[in-house]
Amino acid sequence: MSAATVIHVDDGASASAGKAPATLSSYDTGRATAAAPIPTTQTQREAPGSGVPFLLRSGGDGLQGCMGLIDFVLRVAAFGPTLAAAISIGTSDEKLSIFTNFFQFHATFDDFPAFTFFMVVNAIAAGYLVLSLPFSAAGIIRPKATGVRLLLLVCDTIMVGLLTAAAAAAAAIVYVAHEGNLRANWVPICMQFHGFCQRTSGAVVASFLAVLVLMVLIVMAACTIRSRRRR
Amino acid sequence: MKGSVEQGETSKAPLSSGISKGVAILDVILRFVAFIGTLASAIAMGTTKQTLSFFTQFIQFKAQYSDLPTLMFFVVANSIVCAYLILSLPLSIVHIIRSRAKYSRLILIFFDAAMLALVTAGASAAAAIVYLAHKGNVRANWLAICQQFDSFCERISGSLIGSFVAMVLLLLLIILSAIALARR
Repeated sequence: MSAATVIHVDDGASASAGKAPATLSSYDTGRATAAAPIPTTQTQREAPGSGVPFLLRSGGDGLQGCMGLIDFVLRVAAFGPTLAAAISIGTSDEKLSIFTNFFQFHATFDDFPAFTFFMVVNAIAAGYLVLSLPFSAAGIIRPKATGVRLLLLVCDTIMVGLLTAAAAAAAAIVYVAHEGNLRANWVPICMQFHGFCQRTSGAVVASFLAVLVLMVLIVMAACTIRSRRRR
Repeated sequence: MKGSVEQGETSKAPLSSGISKGVAILDVILRFVAFIGTLASAIAMGTTKQTLSFFTQFIQFKAQYSDLPTLMFFVVANSIVCAYLILSLPLSIVHIIRSRAKYSRLILIFFDAAMLALVTAGASAAAAIVYLAHKGNVRANWLAICQQFDSFCERISGSLIGSFVAMVLLLLLIILSAIALARR
C-alpha cells in the first residue's frame, strides 16, 4: 500500500513538476494524509533547482519568471553601452598635425567639462548596473521580494535622471561642435577634429540607448510590484 | 481566531488608509509645485532678449533664446512637461479619493518616467550651453559671450533653477507612486 502511494508520488512529481501540488492532492484521495506533506516538500525541494518548470508554470508565476529574466537580461544589455561610452570618451584624444603660435590643436575630453561629467556618470552607471545584477537575480529566485524590487526601482529612477543629464549635456556640446553658432561666434570644431567628433557622438548615442533600456526596466519593475502585491 | 484577525485588520485599516491618503495628497502638492517650476522656467527663458547698443559690420550684437537651438529645445521640453503636469493633476486628485486605482498608477509612472527623461535632458543640455556661455572654451576657441550679454546670461542661468527643481520633484513623484503601488 505504501509502495503504491510512493509510486504515485514519484509519477506525479516527475510528470508535472510545476503543477504538482494540485494534482498530487487529487491522487491522495483521503486515505494517506501522512503522505500529503511529503509530496509538497518534495516539490518544494525540487522547484528551486529546476529552471524549466519554473518558467512553464501556469498562470501568473510563469509571467513573473519571464519578466524577471527579461529584467536581468536588459540590465546586462544596458551595461554594454554605458561601459562603451565611458571608455570611448575617456580614450578620445586627437592631435592635429598643424600648429600655430596661438592655438593648440589638441583635443581631449578634459578640455570640455561636460565630457568629463559624461564619462564619470557613465562609469557610475556601468558600476551600478553590475552591482544590481545580484539583486535582480534575487528578485527572480524569490517571487515575494517586493522590497528588493522597490529598491531597484528607486535606484533605477535616480540613474535615469543622472544618465540623461550627462548624455544631454554631452549632446549639447557635440551639437555645438558640429554646427557651431553664428550669434555667439562659436566655430564648429568638428571640421578639423574628425575622429574626436565621431567618438564623442557615438558615445552620446550609446548612452541614450542605455537610458531607454533603463526606462523600460523602471516600467517593468512597477508592473511586477503591482501584480505581486495584488495576489 | 477570525474575530481577532478582523479586529487586527480594522485597527490597522485607518492608519494605513491615512498613510495612503497622505501619500496621495503629497503627490498632488509636488505635482503642482513642479508645474509652477517648469512654467516659470519656460517663461523666463522664452522672454529673453537683449540688444547691445553698438554694432559693427560683421557681428550683430543681439541675443535671444532662439539663437541657440539648445535653449529652444529647453523651452519646448519645459512646455511639454508643464502641459503634462497640469493634465495629470486631476488624475492624481482622483487617487486621493479612490485609492484602489489599478492601471492608472502604472500609466502615471510610465509617463512620469518619460517626462523625467525629457525635462532632465532639456535642463542639462541648457546647463551645458549656459556654462559654455559663462566660461567659454580655450581649446575650441569659443568665446564667453556673457562678458557682453549680461542680463541675457543672468536670465538664462536663473531659468535653469525652476527646471532642475521640477526634475527632482518628478523623481520624488515616481518613487511615491512606486511606494503607493507596493503598499496596496
